[in-house]
Amino acid sequence: MAHEDSPRRRKSLLRKVVDSRILLLMCAPAIVFFVVFNYAPLPGIWIAFTNFNYRDGIFGSPFVGFKNFEFLFKSGQLWMLTRNTILYNLAFIILGNILQIAIAIMLNEIRLKFFRKISQGVMFLPFFISAVLVGVIAFNLLNYDTGALNALIKQTGGDPIKIYSTAGLWPIIIIMVHLWQSTGYGSIVYFAAIMGIDKGLYEAAAIDGASAWQRIRHVTLPSLKPTFIILVLFSLGGIMHGNFGLFWNLVGNNAALFQTTDIIETSVYRMVLSQNNFTTSTAVGLYQSLFGFALVMIANGIVRRINKDYALF
Amino acid sequence: MNRRRVLAIGAAMLALGTSSASMMSSAFAQDAPVEITMLTMGNKPTNGRLEAMLEKLNERLIAQANAKLNLFYIEWADWQTQYNVQLLSGDDNVDLVATATDWLYAWENAEKGAFLPLSEDMLKTHAPKTWAQVDAAGHWDLTKLADGNIYFMPEDNYTQYTNHGFFYRGDWAKEAGFENGEITKFEDFTKYFEWVKANKPDAYPWDVAGANEAALTGYMQGHTDFQTLQGVSAGNYAPFQTKASDPYTITSWYMEGDALIEAAKLAKQWNDIGVWREDALNYDGDTREEFYAGLTGAEQHHTQTFVTQIVHNMNAKQPGSDPKFYYWGEENGNFFKDIFTHGAMAVSTYSRNPEKALEVYDLIRNDKENYMLFNYGIEGEDYIIREDGVLDRPEGFDSSTMSLDTNYWWGRMDEFEPARTTDAPNKAELIDELNATAKDYPYSTLIINKSAIEPTLAAMAGVLSEYIPQLQYGKFEDPAAAVAEMREKLAAVGYEDARASIQADIDAWATARGLK
Repeated sequence: MAHEDSPRRRKSLLRKVVDSRILLLMCAPAIVFFVVFNYAPLPGIWIAFTNFNYRDGIFGSPFVGFKNFEFLFKSGQLWMLTRNTILYNLAFIILGNILQIAIAIMLNEIRLKFFRKISQGVMFLPFFISAVLVGVIAFNLLNYDTGALNALIKQTGGDPIKIYSTAGLWPIIIIMVHLWQSTGYGSIVYFAAIMGIDKGLYEAAAIDGASAWQRIRHVTLPSLKPTFIILVLFSLGGIMHGNFGLFWNLVGNNAALFQTTDIIETSVYRMVLSQNNFTTSTAVGLYQSLFGFALVMIANGIVRRINKDYALF
Repeated sequence: MNRRRVLAIGAAMLALGTSSASMMSSAFAQDAPVEITMLTMGNKPTNGRLEAMLEKLNERLIAQANAKLNLFYIEWADWQTQYNVQLLSGDDNVDLVATATDWLYAWENAEKGAFLPLSEDMLKTHAPKTWAQVDAAGHWDLTKLADGNIYFMPEDNYTQYTNHGFFYRGDWAKEAGFENGEITKFEDFTKYFEWVKANKPDAYPWDVAGANEAALTGYMQGHTDFQTLQGVSAGNYAPFQTKASDPYTITSWYMEGDALIEAAKLAKQWNDIGVWREDALNYDGDTREEFYAGLTGAEQHHTQTFVTQIVHNMNAKQPGSDPKFYYWGEENGNFFKDIFTHGAMAVSTYSRNPEKALEVYDLIRNDKENYMLFNYGIEGEDYIIREDGVLDRPEGFDSSTMSLDTNYWWGRMDEFEPARTTDAPNKAELIDELNATAKDYPYSTLIINKSAIEPTLAAMAGVLSEYIPQLQYGKFEDPAAAVAEMREKLAAVGYEDARASIQADIDAWATARGLK
């Protein structure tokens, strides 16, 4: 039986490939990207378990088991890094999505098309400013000696604030800057989703006497729920990945702020940069990936339990 | 492995059309010149002077050794990472590799197999003059790993001092009440900084950008007999010391004694005065240019920078500023001569022509005409020699747009170096003064087995990079408590294990040499 089956199956696979050759071709860049940057380097994880040296290469270097991971625990930094990374991302995800939905709804309520386009454009703009520039702008606004904010405070007779040595202020600053950069961009998706809502629903609500607020509350928001869940799930996948460029350019090497600003990626970057330490940084990277993987699985599991249709897989 | 090698060669041939052409032709004709690539540090110049010089130099190299030279630059942005990654990559296009044991990871890379072991026969045959000169000075031992092999050729015949200190302005110091405008003690800078703060509203007393620990190490060096071990670092910090009074016991000035606490208290005093920007850690301006513009009262770097750049530029840009140099350890003579491997040249393990590479290096290092070409360019175009023998630049020469930038710090020779117009007039005196008191670094041949303690060093680097910059800038309310906290954390991440491991290395080293 199997003998008879296999040529037919092979043929049909070939047939499938031929039939969807255009679609496959369109997928090819993405497939190549993931193979080259995500799958091909996977064997390099082995570095995390070795005492790596150039001559022996990745697989020839002596195996040391979990010794490289000891550092992570010994330094006591692991908990702080994990906590900061997750809390920042939760703030970004929750506040970000709420703001994006609010902005999208407001945009939708603007009747003057010209003004709507202008507002969208202005809110979109910060997304294109490089993190390096954002860092420079922030320094010039916030620094103690010559910063614009402190100049204003001094002019009005107040005492200048030492922002760059007050760790407690930074979660607020970082979250604000992040939202300033990303909200305009993120609201586009929600705006598009709103555009896709059946206009008949609004008309029916209007006929039933629903006010503008009631239409938003009972038509728009429920219709956005699937989009919201998908977007949150996608962002949960990256919860162990911070916005490196932003954090690095805002905080840099200022250890006074690390307690509230250091995330896994900035920490790894500093370590590789000043340490030439491939092994420990690979170990941190592996920890980050495994932890992130576990989080995605858990989040997806929870969603599937609540509503199977909304789960990613 | 084989496939990787083939791929690498293929990529190399694609990337360097010229090299593939020369490889192909060398297969057919015996006399095609071999192309040797030297890895050096610095930003690749784009003003055409390098190419013009190489054309002339290569004519000579072809005649002398049937070889051509070109340069490969590791640029300054992220240079530590770039350098190590380049060596890690196994690129067989690089033949000669610039290195150094104290700042360019020479031992690490030798241990990791990036450098070809150089046999005596090889050196005698292909770099005979270098061999003879280093051998006569007895310096080959300084370049050997524990396996007894030579891994690089040291820049051991060039006098320079790279001991650090403050550059400051004699005219301001004089007004601040220092006799002759000379400051000779570390804590006397408090008076100088206070004066600058009070009298020069446009200038910071010491404008400094980013992480730095000079306010701590400068103080400790002048107030203790701690001697810092080179080549074993935790991040940007060198955490292991011995004491001159107890030279075979490993300790750490971050861990032992009160000097660090005293230094941190002084730093806090300076911070309260406003010596630096409140946000110095996040500032990244060019403080050297600010010094030239009169916007900072002090700038921090080493002797070589002072005598070759600072004096010349300050006299030109701030006439009458009377630039002066105070160096760490000036008050108690606790500072070292440069080690002979502060610059060195290695041959890449992956070089296809290691013998030719040695020949080319030997010719640049020991042939005066090649040496002048490679270091200073074409006579009459890039430089002129005045009648009194001093090297000057032709009229209209602008060093910021027209310099050669070969950055050859890997085999300079005292006897070929001309005096230069940019040299400080008192260079010779200063060098004599340093020669009179500087100590020889006693541990040049001590190789520390770092692979055993690398994870600990990484963890220590994490702790130090958290506390030291904040201590340096006086950011802790109670420096003594912060130091105690830092010591506790260093101990917790395994300081004592690392110390014991290095202690074992130095014990073996000292016993083998009959020192202990």
